[in-house]
Amino acid sequence: MAEHLIELRDVYKIYSEGLESEVRALDGISLTIDHGEFVAVVGQSGCGKSTLMNVLGCLDIPTRGTYLLDGTDVQDLSDGQLSHIRNQEIGFIFQQYNLIQTLTVQENVELPLIYRGIDPIDRKELALEALNRVGLADRRKHYPTQMSGGQQQRVAIARAISAHPPVIMADEPTGALDSRTGQQVLKFLQQLNREGSTIILITHDNGIAATAPRMVRLSDGRIVSDQRQEVDWQ
Amino acid sequence: MNIGQAFKMAWKSIWGKKGRSALTILSIFIGIAAVMTIVSIMEGMKAKSMEQFEAMGTNRITVRVYSWSYDEQGNPLPAPDYFDKLYQFCNSIQDLVIGVTPTASCSATATYGTKSTANMEWQYDDNWNVISSPPQQYYGSDQYSACNNLTVGSGRDLAWLDCKGYKQVCVLGAQAAKVFFGSADPVGKELLVNGNAFRIIGVYNARVEPDSSNAYQMDNFIVYPYTASRILGGDNSNQEYLVKARDNETLSQAITEIGTYIKGQVDLSTGSVNVYSESQWQQDSNEYMTMISLVLGGIAAISLVVGGIGIMNIMLVTVTERTREIGIRRAIGATRASIVSQFLIEAAMLCGLGGIVGILVGTVCSVVLSQRIVQMTIYPALWVTLAAFGLSVLLGVIFGIYPAAKASKLQPVEALRAE
Repeated sequence: MAEHLIELRDVYKIYSEGLESEVRALDGISLTIDHGEFVAVVGQSGCGKSTLMNVLGCLDIPTRGTYLLDGTDVQDLSDGQLSHIRNQEIGFIFQQYNLIQTLTVQENVELPLIYRGIDPIDRKELALEALNRVGLADRRKHYPTQMSGGQQQRVAIARAISAHPPVIMADEPTGALDSRTGQQVLKFLQQLNREGSTIILITHDNGIAATAPRMVRLSDGRIVSDQRQEVDWQ
Repeated sequence: MNIGQAFKMAWKSIWGKKGRSALTILSIFIGIAAVMTIVSIMEGMKAKSMEQFEAMGTNRITVRVYSWSYDEQGNPLPAPDYFDKLYQFCNSIQDLVIGVTPTASCSATATYGTKSTANMEWQYDDNWNVISSPPQQYYGSDQYSACNNLTVGSGRDLAWLDCKGYKQVCVLGAQAAKVFFGSADPVGKELLVNGNAFRIIGVYNARVEPDSSNAYQMDNFIVYPYTASRILGGDNSNQEYLVKARDNETLSQAITEIGTYIKGQVDLSTGSVNVYSESQWQQDSNEYMTMISLVLGGIAAISLVVGGIGIMNIMLVTVTERTREIGIRRAIGATRASIVSQFLIEAAMLCGLGGIVGILVGTVCSVVLSQRIVQMTIYPALWVTLAAFGLSVLLGVIFGIYPAAKASKLQPVEALRAE
C-alpha cells in the first residue's frame, strides 16, 4: 500500500490550450488524500470541482501533472486498466443518480459486479446486501422511473457500494434532493466513512461541506484553502 | 463480463423497444425469406428434372441422323433408315452397350372399348399437377425397355421377332394400363390402333409413383415394334435412335465408336450425324439452373445489403440515444471491449431474429410456391436454413461494427454529460 491513497502533483486540466478560448479547469492542483479520510471539495459552480472529481475518478486524464492512485501513475495506464480501476477501486454517486432506466433496481446495482466478472449467485447476494443497507431490498424488481428522487439516489449508493470499493466519490449527491433526504444521504456517507471507506464529496453547499472533517476549497481551478476540523457525527 | 450476460442485456434492450426492433427485423427477414425461397425452388426444379432423368436411366446416348437430299421437284427425301445397321453394330460391341432402339413417336389413335386416345386430354389440378393425359405412343425395338430403364411386370417384352415379323403387338406402360383397363390385367387383350388390332403382350413396371404427376409423363405410354410404322405411319425425315451404354465408364468410348461407325455409313454431303450423351445435356441444364438461381439469389441478396444498412442506421441512432448509458457503464467499469461486444451482440441478435423469422416465412413460401411451380413439396434443405441463419447473423456483425466502434470510442466524461 502506497503512502497516500491519492496524490496529485501540480495537476492541470486545460481545454483549448493556446487558443483565445483557453479554459484552465484545473490550474496547478497539488493534493494528497489518505485512506479513510472524508474530504469535502467545495466551491462555486465553474470552479473546477467536477473536473477534479473526473480526474480523481479516472474518468478524465489531466493535461499535465502527476496523479498517483495508490502509488500508480494514472497517466501510464491504458483505457482498459483505467476501466478496471473505476470498477475495482471507486464507487461513483452522481447528482443525477445516473441509473440505467431500462434496467431494474437490482440489475443496476449488479452492473459493476457484472463488469467485475462475479458469478450470478454471488452477484445477487452482494446486490441484495447493498440494497438492504439502503433499505430498498423490497423494491429490487422496480424500475428507476417508478421511484422518487431520494429512492433513486439510494439505489445509486447501493450500486456504488455493492462491490465494496475503497473509495466513494460523490458529486453533489444531495443536489437534486430536498434537505431531509439530503441529510439521510449525508448520514449514510458518514456511516460508510466510519466503516473505513474513503469518501470524497463534491459540493457547492458550505453547510454540507462544514460537516466534513476535511474541507478543500476550490476557486478558479486552484485550491484556496484546505482545512481540517473536529466533527461531531451522531 | 460473460457472454450469457451480454446476450441477456442485448435481448433486454431489443425487447425494450419492440416496435422499432420489429421494423428493423422486417428489413432483414424479407431478404432472407426471398433468398431462401429462390434457392429452395431452384433446388426443387433440379430435383424434379433429376427424378425424370433417373426414371429414364442414365448413360443414354442419342444418335441423330439428319438428311437434306431432295427429289427433282425439290421435295425433301426421307433419310435412309440406318437402324438395322446400328442395331447390328451395337450388338457387336456388347461390352460397351446394352441396348439400342428407335425413339420415334407415333400419333395413331388407340382405342379399347369406349376409351380412346382421341378423346383423352391433358388435365391439371389447381396446382398444375397433371391428373390425366392421353398415353404417348412410341416405336421401339426389343431393347426399348433396356434403353429406358423399364422392366416387364406381367406378360412379356417386345422380341426381335415381333419387330422382324411385323407383328401387330404392343406393350403398355404401367399408367397406360391403368388408364385403359383400371385394375384388370390387359395382357392378351387387343387395342384397335387406327383400326388395326394390336395384341397387348405385356405391361411394364411403374418407374415412378403411380397416379403422380410424373406418372402421367413417365409411365403413360404404349410401345409398338418399330416396324409397325409401316401400318401406323410416322415421320421418317429425322432418324433418331437411343443407345444405352453399359455404365458411366464405357459411355464416352461408346459415343466415340458409334460416332465413327455411323459417320462411315452416312453420306455426309447430303446429311449429318449427331451423337451425344444425355448426361451431358443433364449437366448443362443443371449448370443453367444453378446460374439462374445465382442471378435471382444475387438480386435478393441486394435486399439483404439494403437491410444491413438499415440495421447500421438504427444502431447508430441507438448509440446516440444511449450515449449517457454508455457513459454510466464506462464510469462503473465497462471496458471498450465490453461496450463493443454489447452493441455487436445487439446488432447480431436483431439480424439473427430477422433471420429466424425469414427462415420461417421462407419455408412457408418454399412449400407453397414449390407446390404451385414444380408440383412438389419442397422444404428448404438444412444447409440452406443454416446458411440463411449464418448469413443474417454475419450481416448483423458486419453492419454492427461501425456503430459499436463509435459507441466504444465515446469518452466517459463526455458521454456522462449527454442528455
